[in-house]
Amino acid sequence: MTIVAHLPHRARTLSEEEAAAPPSMELTGRRPIAPEERGLAETIYTEFRADPRHREFVLGCLNCGECTTGCPAARFYDFSPREMLQIAENGDATTLWDAIQEKIWACCQCYTCNMRCRFGNDIAGIISVMRELSVRHGVASTRATLAPFGRSLTLLMTVGTQVSSDMIQPDFFRDWGPFATGSDRAWGVGADVMRRAIPSDVLQTTRSSWEVSVQTSLELFRIYEETGVLDMLRGLDPDLTEMLIDIIEERREEFEEARARFRDELEGMRGPVATFRG
Amino acid sequence: MNPILVLGAGPAGLSAAAETAALGAPTILVERESYLGGNPKRWHYSLLAPDLRPSDEVLGPLIAKVEGNPNVTLRRSTTVSRAERLERGYRVTLTTGAAQETQEVSAVVLATGFDHFDSHRKFEYGYGRYPDVLDFKELEGMIHDDKVLRPSDGKPPRRIAWILCVGSRDLQVGNPWCCRMGCAVSIKQAVEIRQKHPEIDAYVYYMDIRTYGLWEDLYWKSMQEYGVKFIRGRIGQVTLAEGGSRLLATGEDTILRRPTEVPFDMIVLASGMEPGTGTKEAAALFGVPVGPEGFLTPTLSDLNPVDSGLPGVFLAGAATGPKAIPDSVTEGMGAALRAYQYARR
Repeated sequence: MTIVAHLPHRARTLSEEEAAAPPSMELTGRRPIAPEERGLAETIYTEFRADPRHREFVLGCLNCGECTTGCPAARFYDFSPREMLQIAENGDATTLWDAIQEKIWACCQCYTCNMRCRFGNDIAGIISVMRELSVRHGVASTRATLAPFGRSLTLLMTVGTQVSSDMIQPDFFRDWGPFATGSDRAWGVGADVMRRAIPSDVLQTTRSSWEVSVQTSLELFRIYEETGVLDMLRGLDPDLTEMLIDIIEERREEFEEARARFRDELEGMRGPVATFRG
Repeated sequence: MNPILVLGAGPAGLSAAAETAALGAPTILVERESYLGGNPKRWHYSLLAPDLRPSDEVLGPLIAKVEGNPNVTLRRSTTVSRAERLERGYRVTLTTGAAQETQEVSAVVLATGFDHFDSHRKFEYGYGRYPDVLDFKELEGMIHDDKVLRPSDGKPPRRIAWILCVGSRDLQVGNPWCCRMGCAVSIKQAVEIRQKHPEIDAYVYYMDIRTYGLWEDLYWKSMQEYGVKFIRGRIGQVTLAEGGSRLLATGEDTILRRPTEVPFDMIVLASGMEPGTGTKEAAALFGVPVGPEGFLTPTLSDLNPVDSGLPGVFLAGAATGPKAIPDSVTEGMGAALRAYQYARR
């Protein structure tokens, strides 16, 4: 444990090495970093501070606590968006490392804190930067935290949604899905009646969001590849990443075959097609 | 000499008009409302911080200096609808109801003041939805009349909370500035209530206490002598509790680092200061530059705090930013002197 600040009358209690170190928040109850993890913690801290989003998201803090007041996670866990912002703004490698172990995963990314923040900070955003770094570097605790979510992740990354309409069993989810008609006691009318009140363009968007299109999931995966999400995931779980790539490769082949077939059919009908407008 | 026009009859305008008149200059004092005294009068301010003197005792003598003064022409319920720059001075159109009158003036003092922030805009506090959530200007009137009762059921409250910085220091509503008054006025209200009704508990929720300069005394005494409680952290939302009979204030105690949920009988919002309607109109009318906050900007806030940079136009009071009454009165005096110098040249 190091002394929290370099006070003149305490100088004698500090070792030379400690005196040279920047002031630490360790006294406030955080556990120290294991020696073998120190290097990774320092790397993550350096990358975190250098991330251009840090300057954009973290502006300053009046410590008013309104973010924590509105935070659903803070009601159930030892978690506070205000503390996360303090760590982002004033923390060191130790405090960031501590936050990455558990706390950042309590956030449900609802962005209520951002809506409340009178200073204009992007608190949920800086937490997602912390998450991103811990995934990218495959932090052991992050692996353990995310392990149960492999199935959700696979669906999300290959289909674009965790639940699609073909997975819904009408008997269990009567009020779910685009064609549900079950009556709602509170409203006294069926969902089909309620649906008529929704503007048709909104309804169209909602309906199409239920449809799983191969082309869409291929485009989505392309985005994951090109924005580095896949590389990030590789740090966390190489096996899962390879499996995802396999699934998508298979779909790509299917899609290309279907496209070729479609082109052949068109040619048979109307002669050669100069360009294919996808 | 053409008369000097003073726009606005709050503390700054009253002070300016009293001084130009004392210098012997004919003065027209134009006030939009039917009464003199500005916001303190409008909202029936009770005791004024920091000396805790009744507002009538402070404003009364100021009003007496202009009322019946042979050098002062009082124009109540009047606005300036046009202003045209002349070689020297301005030609202005004064509008009273349907009647219009053109007048040449030698110099202008803009003392158009501030408006309180509209607390409806911070919807999470339930102002306008729950009758027992008050704006502190409304509580001023209650204290002034010694009728501090819950608007919902007319019963005396047992526990009151003040929420500071409502519409101040807040980018969500676009007002990042400090109102300078909210802390002192809220603490003063808590002290006044504790003086008369020691059975009522008073809690102040704050981010920082800015009882600047000598006003700090008020803050200390409120704890030492009147037992006002201070909790560091903001209330983030107000809901109903106990079957709707009380208000539930949810927040974070940022010193103890834990969430708080406390039932209150009344919650008082310290609403901030925004540029007044008259200030916005005057800026457009005379072409006075405004800052990003919408207040009029003097040429140099340190050396020429009352000069607008436009020939013959001078500034005083909360038109240039949140200000206490003593500062407004002082600026009124300064602007009067500068206007008189200009008019005499």
